[in-house]
Parts: sequence; structure tokens; C-alpha cells
Amino acid sequence: MNSFLSPRLVIVLLLCAGLWLINLSLGSVHIPLNDLLRRLGGIPFPKSSWEIIVVDYRLPKSLTAMLAGIGLSLSGLQMQTFFRNPLAGPYVLGISAGAGLGVALLTMAGTAFGWHLLGSAGGYWSVVLAASAGAISVLVLMGLAAWKVKDSMTLLIVGLMFGSAASSLITLLAYFSAAEELKLFTIWSMGNLGNTGWKELVLLSGAVFLGLVPAIFSVKAYNAMLLGEAYAVSMGINFQRLRWVMIVSTGILTGSITAFCGPIAFIGIAVPHLARLLFRTQNHALLFPAAASLGVVILLACDTISQLPGMASTLPLNAITTAFGAPLIIWLIMKRSFSEEF
Amino acid sequence: MNLPTTNTAENPAFVRARDLELGYRTGKLAQRVAYPVSFDLYRQELTCLMGPNGVGKSTLLKAIMHQHPPLQGEVWLGDTPTGRLAEKERAKKIAVVLTEKTPTGMMTVRDLVALGRIPHTGWWGQLSPQDQAKIAEVMEWTSISHLAAKRVSALSDGQRQTALIARALAQDSPILILDEPTAHLDLSNRFEIMYLLRDLARKASKAILVVTHDLEVALETADKLWLMNANQPLLTGSPEDLMINGGIQRLVPGDKWQVDAVSGKIVRSTIPLACAIEGPEALVCWVKNALRKNPELQLPASIQITASPFEIKATFAKSYCLFQSISEMLRFLQNPPATENPFLK
Repeated sequence: MNSFLSPRLVIVLLLCAGLWLINLSLGSVHIPLNDLLRRLGGIPFPKSSWEIIVVDYRLPKSLTAMLAGIGLSLSGLQMQTFFRNPLAGPYVLGISAGAGLGVALLTMAGTAFGWHLLGSAGGYWSVVLAASAGAISVLVLMGLAAWKVKDSMTLLIVGLMFGSAASSLITLLAYFSAAEELKLFTIWSMGNLGNTGWKELVLLSGAVFLGLVPAIFSVKAYNAMLLGEAYAVSMGINFQRLRWVMIVSTGILTGSITAFCGPIAFIGIAVPHLARLLFRTQNHALLFPAAASLGVVILLACDTISQLPGMASTLPLNAITTAFGAPLIIWLIMKRSFSEEF
Repeated sequence: MNLPTTNTAENPAFVRARDLELGYRTGKLAQRVAYPVSFDLYRQELTCLMGPNGVGKSTLLKAIMHQHPPLQGEVWLGDTPTGRLAEKERAKKIAVVLTEKTPTGMMTVRDLVALGRIPHTGWWGQLSPQDQAKIAEVMEWTSISHLAAKRVSALSDGQRQTALIARALAQDSPILILDEPTAHLDLSNRFEIMYLLRDLARKASKAILVVTHDLEVALETADKLWLMNANQPLLTGSPEDLMINGGIQRLVPGDKWQVDAVSGKIVRSTIPLACAIEGPEALVCWVKNALRKNPELQLPASIQITASPFEIKATFAKSYCLFQSISEMLRFLQNPPATENPFLK
């Protein structure tokens, strides 16, 4: 269990760095890697417009991708271990559906209720606020449920039901909304890493940090949970505390990331599996850094593809994460005896 | 039993409880499962807890583990009540092997055993050289060192159970509690596991409590038996004493079954066979066994058995038949051909 600095982790971390540079370099305007490296060494870009492109757009976007990759992967990993369910992911507790409902109320309830919030100043910030409010409401509801219900399977089902309830409200709102509003919401729900400027990034990184700290301090407890609740308790793990850690940590992580980037699909469920399969381990002391770095790699790669190098337009992020991620996971599952190894 | 050689002074009960009331509490309603429960669990001894399903064996285990505190009374570990120990301290005192399915995953046997060190490591779970040494030691004790790098999913049931025992040993606790560790195991593995536990109790000076339904293995390996029945105090004692004083019969309440006083096997209460059987004792006992299992058969008047060559001669009122095997005889007795047995008409 002491293989923290495994060679595979070093490779993945190098891949992170490489993809980060490629992500900065590619886009509608190509910035050569040489110039990027020189800029890192203090030599200014030959074109001043590049400085604006990199510093104001691509850098915050790539950092957002990293934060989202880390946060979603670790949320999914915690959920899968806690619920001992390979299909659990960051969205099973309904947090992101809550965020979606918040955004849907903001963008689509205008016609129904006569709101015109989007017309006022700070459109993006009001989306973030609405999503946060939705995520926090569901998190509070989940907390109340967790306080009442002690069984983790029941908790999982309650979470799924919260998610379904929120989704049905979204459907209702969508049905009565105007075409323009519907499109706004649909685009939000496709995920977007590019909306975060430096100010938003400060907030997002603060939230991600806040969500990660309790998880990192529970590495040992998650290892004990591999054998199930009863064994974990017999090894001195405070199960109730771990439950709150799981709810609060994944709630903050997915809530904040969904608020700033929309509901990014696939990463949270798939990356933990990828980490287990590639690192051949169940030890969370290694799985945490492994899943985090793989999350960064995959989200950076997907973002690089979605910004369509050399073209002026972009593709929706979720289309890419799913289109490239799903076959990858299917391949991995077919290759190894997956169900036996989870 | 005031034997002068008894060494209770050096080996005081490590886990003890008096008049526990076990049960569940839902809201303000308390539902009693078992009362009164008193026991002493000693170090260096293998104790088997036996009793019918639903009598509260698991509740008793959970009470000792403090996962489900008793409604009344306290379980004492040495001189501390379990409830007063912090979770981590309790984990250093009691290790368990449970019945629930453990995920196999791509964990190696060594990783599984290493999980037992969780109560002893720091927050990140980093293993110290002492932890590593303990892991190596318990794998040696349980003879699974050669499996260390194998995936848990690739183990046989017996090996997996042994690995789980090794994990519990790695927890380095004076008390070991196992819930049906031999269920689903084949005959020889059942004995292997129980003898291993018996050795560990001696060698590592552990108090080991095993829930089992396997009377044969328990009689063979246990130092003490605890017999649990609904609404009766726990009956404890060495298996041999319980056999002699008949206490063991509490395992099979009712008249239908009983524990055979010689073999220790559970048999149907002996209905005397209306048939004289002669022959070598070892053969007679199995013919009787076969006939008792099939009480609906029409028995011959007498049976003579010869050993070599093995032959059974069943004598009826007017005729006799010869059989080369017991199953042949049973087949005949089930469908007696009318022509050969006219008296059966």
C-alpha cells in the first residue's frame, strides 16, 4: 500500500503537463509550443494579441478544466466506494439536477412568471448564483434525509429521487418556455469550461479546495469501506462522520463545478474506473491522485478537441466527453474482467 | 469445578458480561431478543457460539463489538466497558471476520491483509516497518505468504476465508470474533480453518469466539461451547462436559432429533428398528443408518451381513433375498416385486 509514487502516476502527471501546454497552444489561433515555453521562461510573445488570448482566455479555461477534472473524478470515486456501487457518480445525489433546476428557473421561467433576470447585468454571475442556490438546496435536503435515514442504499435511492424530481420540474419549465430560453438552458446543460474568468476561477478553486480537504483526510476510511460498512466500523472508522464527509465533499465539488461549468458528463463515473483499471489498485492513497490526474488529462484532452483547432467555432463539451469517453470505457471493460474486479 | 490445577488467576476472563439484555430499539420501543446473557471469554481459548437461527447470536456478537449496544448491562473488555472505549481503541481490542460478501476487486491478498493495520496507522494509512513486519508475520501464521501477490478474486473460498482471518489478525487485537467462518467451505477446509483458529488462540494468546452451526467441527476443535436458546441463559462449558451432562441436547430442541451421545452427530431420535440385524458392528451401524433414514420401508424379519465378500441376506417370513449393496437392498424394499414376496400382498 506504499506505492504512492508509482511510475504510472509519474507518467500520467507528465501527460497532464504536456496536454496542458497543447491545450494552451491549440484553438482558433495556433500559438506555437516554443513561444509558449519561452513565455513561461519570461520572454514575451512575438504578438501582443497572443498574450490576451492566453492569459485572459486559454489559461483560466485550462485551469477550470483541471479543477473540474479533479473535482468530478474524486466525487465519483468517493461515491463509488461509499455506496460500493460501480454505477454511482457525482450526480447520483441529485446535486447537479438541483443546480440545473436553479438555472432552469432563471433562464426558462421568464415567460411563465414574467421574470427577466437574464436581461439585467451580470448574466453569467446570475447563472452561477442560481445554480449554486439549486445545488445548495438539494444538498440541504440530502443532509436532512441523511440525518433521518441511516442506511446507505436508502440514501442513494433518495438522492436519485431528488434528481428525478428536479429533472421533471426542469422538463415542465422547458415545455412552457420560449424557444430562445430553451436554447439558453440547453447550451448551459451541454457544459462549458470557457465561461470562467480569473475572478470566477478564484471562487471555483476555493470551493474545490474546500471540497477536497475532507475527502483527503478520509483516505484511510475509504480504504476501510472497501470491505463494507460493518468491517469499516470494526476497524475503528467513524461511519457517520464518513457519511457526512462524503455528502459535504461531493456536494461542494459537484455543486460548484456544475454552477460554473454546467453538468459535465461522463468524467465522474468513468474516470474512477479508468484509474482502477490502469493503476490496478484499490488503495485510495494511490487512487485519489490517480483519479485526479486522469480526470485532468481527460478533461484537458476533451476541451482541446472541443475548441476545434484551427477553426473559429467550438463543439459542446459534453458531446466530446461522452463520444470519446464511452467507447474508451467500453473497451476497458471488455478487455478486463471488469465486474469481477470492481 | 474447583480443580486445583485451574489457572483462572493467570488467565482471567478477557471479555465478560453479566445478565445482558440483548435487543433492538426502534424509537422508544425496545424489542428484547435474548435475556439473560452472561459469559466469560478467555484468552488462549477457542469458544464456539452455537444455537438455532434467529436466537440472537449475531446480536450478541454486535453487542460485544459495540456495534449494537445491549439494552441492559455492559460488556467488559478486561477492566473497561466496551462503550467507554473510543472507536479506534476498540478496533485495537476486537477484530472480526464477518459473513458479508467482501468485494474482491483487484486487491491483492497482501493489500487485503494490510487493511487490518488501519487502526494502527496515521491519517494517510502509511505503513511503518512495524506494520509491514506484522503483515508478514500473520501471513506466515496463516500460511498464505505464497499467495501475497495474488488477486483476491483468484482465490478459492477456503483461501479467501484464510486471507480474511489474516486481515483480522493483522489488527493485532487480543479478541477475534468470527461469524460462521466455515460456512460454504468443504469438509477438510472446515477443519483446517478451525484448527488454525485453535492454534492461533494458543500461539498468539487470543480469545477467539466463533459462531458456527457445525457441531462436528466444534466438538473436535473448541475449548468451550456457548449454547444459546430462546429465553434461556447461555449454557457454557467444554464440549465434552456438555456431551456427558446432556446439555448439548439443547442444540436440537424437540423430540425429533438428538445428538448421538457417542458420535456427537445429530441423528433422528432412535426409533427401535423392528428387525434383528446381525454382522460385524461397523457394517451393522451403516445398515441401520440407511434403514432409519427410510422409516416407510417394509422391514424384513431379520438381516445377516457378511463382510467379505460384502453381502446382505434379508430374511422374510417365507423367503430370503441376497444383496451386494445397501442401495440394492433399499431399492428392493421400496418396490418389493409381488411374485417374490407373496406375503406382502
